[in-house]
Amino acid sequence: MSVAQIINRRDVGTLATLQLQAREAVCLSGPVRLAKGRVHEVMGDSADMFAILTASRLAGPIIWIGLSRDIGSLAPTALQDYIDPARVILTEGISRSEVLWAAEQALRARCASCVIVELSAGPNLRESRRLQVAAQDGGGVGIILIHGRAQTSACETRWHCAANKSGENTWVWSLTKNRRGELGTWCVNWTNRDRSGGAYEAGVIHLAVATAT
Amino acid sequence: MRRVLSIWLSQLPLDLRVRKGDPRIAAPFAIISEIKNAWRLTHLSEAAQAAGLSPELSLPDARAICPQLLTEPCDPVREAALLRALWRWADSLSPWVALDPPDGLFLDITGCAHLFGGERAMAVHTRERLSDMNVISRIGVADTKGAAWALARFKGRTIEIAAEGKTGAALAALPLEGLRVPPKIATDLRRTGLKTIGQLSEIKPAELARRFGLDLTKALSATLGHAPDPVSPKAADPIYAARMTLPDPIGLRDDLLGVLGRLVSSVSGRLESDAKGARRFALTVRCVDTGDHILQIGFARPTYAPLAIIQQFERPLDDLKIEFGADWFRLEAAHVEPIQPFQISLDSHKQAEDDTSKIISTLGNRLGFDRVRQFMPLQSHLPEREFVCVEAMDRREPVLWDTAPRKRPVRLFKRPERLVTLEPGRPPKRFQWRKLVYATWEAKGPERLTAEWWQDDRGAVRDYWQVQTEDGPRLWLMTYPGSNEPNWYIAGRFP
Repeated sequence: MSVAQIINRRDVGTLATLQLQAREAVCLSGPVRLAKGRVHEVMGDSADMFAILTASRLAGPIIWIGLSRDIGSLAPTALQDYIDPARVILTEGISRSEVLWAAEQALRARCASCVIVELSAGPNLRESRRLQVAAQDGGGVGIILIHGRAQTSACETRWHCAANKSGENTWVWSLTKNRRGELGTWCVNWTNRDRSGGAYEAGVIHLAVATAT
Repeated sequence: MRRVLSIWLSQLPLDLRVRKGDPRIAAPFAIISEIKNAWRLTHLSEAAQAAGLSPELSLPDARAICPQLLTEPCDPVREAALLRALWRWADSLSPWVALDPPDGLFLDITGCAHLFGGERAMAVHTRERLSDMNVISRIGVADTKGAAWALARFKGRTIEIAAEGKTGAALAALPLEGLRVPPKIATDLRRTGLKTIGQLSEIKPAELARRFGLDLTKALSATLGHAPDPVSPKAADPIYAARMTLPDPIGLRDDLLGVLGRLVSSVSGRLESDAKGARRFALTVRCVDTGDHILQIGFARPTYAPLAIIQQFERPLDDLKIEFGADWFRLEAAHVEPIQPFQISLDSHKQAEDDTSKIISTLGNRLGFDRVRQFMPLQSHLPEREFVCVEAMDRREPVLWDTAPRKRPVRLFKRPERLVTLEPGRPPKRFQWRKLVYATWEAKGPERLTAEWWQDDRGAVRDYWQVQTEDGPRLWLMTYPGSNEPNWYIAGRFP
């Protein structure tokens, strides 16, 4: 294979991913967009809310994978303000390798539009590449909630989410890594739509202050 | 006009022992069971009857009358198995056979009797065949199930036939128990001086219904043929299984998959043609040196898709250690349920549902189905009892979640975590939890919850506070009110 061919192939590859990104992304609000078919890492106290709000923008089952101590504390009574708890499929692994295996299977399945994985330490380069490939096959959004430290990884974006003391449903989201795009910090406020009909509607996310870092 | 033949296997528990060649039958022997808080005789051998014993006698009385009496408690499971075997045998007499537990069978013999040379000849033939099998029987033939049942049991003859349209006349002299009404109604009727079925048919049904309830009139009209009471046979559940024996043992992965493929195509083909699917499959592999190994897989929804079954079996087959080979295989489908076939290409919703159950099966087969769960709402006001996790595989109906009436944390700790109070207060002004120090900025509360009134030993009264900390996290603090130095716990974290 000649050098020109390799360059051409690479170009085609980049073009394809760019098209993919341009075509398929889930928009939380304004510039806060998550590419589909990719894995995103979320850290911080309110990381789970970031994942829940992303899931509220997508249809279909949500596969939530983690160790028993992490997913055991999830309460549907609070989830139902944001998503239909019946969509959640809890999957419990007994070790990190089982959790990662389940995550790979779930990401590869086409039905799961949103796969949320809880890990104590972030995936390393090899693990995250595997997840990334699986997500590309399945086309869903993979979200990794990292309770401890993150490692160098192949994830698409990395977010840091903290609660804001100015009121309920307010958070500070900062984008600290982005492979395709700019970084930023946003103060986020979520308000519920009128739910008199009883249907689960995605609430409105206001980006109150946008400060570039 | 329907014709029904009722077989009463009056000595079924004894027949069971006779068929086994039990030597005690020749001696005074009785089957006993616990009736009205006492062991009583139910079935007696001929020698026991000759000794002066009778059914319903209590065991101590019977022992006093006949000291050498041998007894054995009844065994309903084995008796039911024998009855079921006879029920299958009775297919040779009529295609329309129903069980009448604990000791009877109903045969709809409409249009069958002439094959045996008439109803009486058919009844004689039936009794002879049964007695060849060491089973004693009595037979009643009539237009309705109830009438045939009563004739077999209360007429005192081995074969009793009521001619067509003569049901009322045949039953007139029979006691009221022949109607199969609850014993209380029979006793009440007897108190009013009514003793036979014939006496009842002279009274207006409305009068009877007013005094003794609709059950009696319903039974009466069904027995006399005024209301339909068909013989409804229950078909035996077919077994979906396939077996393969090989002349030489095999052990290579491809060979095993080849055998599996053949077994699966046989089983799933039969499932498909019956519009059925199975939730579990078990593959028995008989190794020449280590014996049987049973591999099991499950599915989140009943399926017959051969590829899915083979795919799920691949992993357990890889884990199986076969050293010298295996030469006998059996695949069995369990938890068989009817399924609705659907067109895959046009029904995208069904397709998505199918994919979901596929991933549930994949995850469950490796991690265990108890580890793949979904939420179910419960009716309670206690935060930890408002929901429960059930196996995703078991949940069949969609659940509706009502809007939450109270604000609850998104992370709810099943066991509240004790915190260290640094600066007391109600709630504490500064505290330490999970090695971090928090300061209270704003607190809402208390929300006081008591245990559910019907459960007196589940937890005490609790006070909950929603605390907004200085650094951002919103926590749910809990304490037990009433103590002098309250201990504080973190019960959850708000979004």
